[in-house]
Amino acid sequence: MRKYLYFIIATLFLASAAFAAESQIWGDGRVLNIFGYGQVESLKLGPLFTMLQKEYFEVIFFGILVGVPSAFFLHYLIIGPKVFPHGGKKIYVFNLFHRFIHQIAALSFIVIVPTGFIIIFGAQLGGGSLVRLAKDMHGLATIPFAIVVIPMFLMWLKDAFFNFDDVKWIMIVGGYLSKEKKPIPAGKFNAGQKMWYWIATLGGMIMIITGATMYFMDFDIELLRQISGLTQIDLLRFAAIVHNVMGFGVVVFFIVHLYMAMFAIKGAVHAIIDGHMEDEEVKILHGSYYKKLKEEGKI
Amino acid sequence: MSEMSRMKFYCDDHRCIECDGCSVACAEAHELPTGINRRKVVTLNEGIEGKEFSTSIACMHCTDAPCEQVCPVDCFYIREDGIVLHDKEVCIGCGYCLYACPFGAPQFPRDGAFGTKGAMDKCTMCAGGPLETNSAHERELYGQNLIAEGKVPVCAAMCSTKALIVGEASEVAKIYRQRISSKGKGVQSAPYGWSKAYGN
Ligand code: HEM
Ligand code: SF4
Ligand code: SF4
Repeated sequence: MRKYLYFIIATLFLASAAFAAESQIWGDGRVLNIFGYGQVESLKLGPLFTMLQKEYFEVIFFGILVGVPSAFFLHYLIIGPKVFPHGGKKIYVFNLFHRFIHQIAALSFIVIVPTGFIIIFGAQLGGGSLVRLAKDMHGLATIPFAIVVIPMFLMWLKDAFFNFDDVKWIMIVGGYLSKEKKPIPAGKFNAGQKMWYWIATLGGMIMIITGATMYFMDFDIELLRQISGLTQIDLLRFAAIVHNVMGFGVVVFFIVHLYMAMFAIKGAVHAIIDGHMEDEEVKILHGSYYKKLKEEGKI
Repeated sequence: MSEMSRMKFYCDDHRCIECDGCSVACAEAHELPTGINRRKVVTLNEGIEGKEFSTSIACMHCTDAPCEQVCPVDCFYIREDGIVLHDKEVCIGCGYCLYACPFGAPQFPRDGAFGTKGAMDKCTMCAGGPLETNSAHERELYGQNLIAEGKVPVCAAMCSTKALIVGEASEVAKIYRQRISSKGKGVQSAPYGWSKAYGN
């Protein structure tokens, strides 16, 4: 853990040391930017970014922000939450380390996602200090997330590979379209949670890297330009496009995850707080996991 | 607004001698912090005979300015005369305008304890900003407002070879045409040169 922290600090240090060099954007490289803009031999990332940001990003984020919660609201009204008896037996599923890492990630996301939306709808909010604060919080909350994302990736990796249960789970949409309580094929994580795992960890790392690219902006990492063949400014354009597109996925799954944990499955939120899940909740929603625990004599 | 009446810069690369006067004049006139170059002189094909040339770049005050199209807080405004300006008190320093700009014009001073990107800065064509004209506040945030005083932007005013010119697009085009058509017609002989005055 200590080593890991040093690694992060060293990376930040290196990135800031790179500033001292000649500007990659406004120095002589500025000419490359002008020639690279919309010319035949370039990727035309400038006009592409301009078009996407002007026409699509805001509309899509708006659609997600309104659409996904409305779908869940309807689900809640029509099918309703799954309620499992409380006060019964509980199963200890997440140890202290798992919970701590998960809590840090959760707190970071609770800041990152709303502030991201504030930036996107900055014009409607009048810009200025409020939106600027959101931008700074967005960047600041990235730090704790960056610290926990690799431990989170590793600690749940073995439970996150897809298997045949997941195909069956997807066929019945996780059983969320009915109120019936019969065991659903899923291990420790169901197919939906696995998808979220990959988006939150690998996708999260992409968000950190693209976000950091935009934050540091005028850094000088020769290797990166060589590998990608992009000028510094095109690297930034690419980062901005990826950050937004990946952001769609992160936001959709984050809202789904929040709805499931807070509303759709009553009491599920205890898994992150004290590490326990209701016996029946595990039995129904994580049928295969329950069977395995039983075979191992753990319950 | 008619395309021809928009204010435009033009830098004649046959004339630019890479003296850097324009960018120095700009930095001095607007008291820019070090590291911020609203105008920059670049030389291309350096050392290649016949191909080397220099030119001076700043915000080009584009028609349908891409920066204005992408700004998430909509802080840009385009004046009647086509000058593209922005409100620094609304800007959040996100960098999007730089990604959209074909000329690398927007720049970002680092500010605050965390060194985050501060409000964007770029060439104003010496037209200040949205604050009260020639107020101390306007001057502090955007630099001088020479346009309001009927003066020529400082970079073009001081350009010794008059490579850099600025004005209504139609006027700039006229000067450009004149220069092209008079090319190769020989040097104008001065009526009162040293030799005439002292007759040697
Ligand atoms: C794991 C998730 C995420 C991480 C780690 C992350 C990180 C970052 C960082 C470090 C920046 C640069 C901030 C700066 O330049 O000061 C940034 C920019 C941005 N992020 Fe995210 N972000 C994430 C998710 C999101 C989401 C979900 C959204 C949309 C809802 C979003 C929207 C934006 C926008 C619009 C910007 C550009 C504006 C700016 O630079 O201030 N981000 N992000
Ligand atoms: S900042 Fe760039 S895109 Fe905007 S008007 Fe100036 S040159 Fe054009
Ligand atoms: S840096 Fe400022 S002016 Fe540029 S797009 Fe962002 S908010 Fe708008």
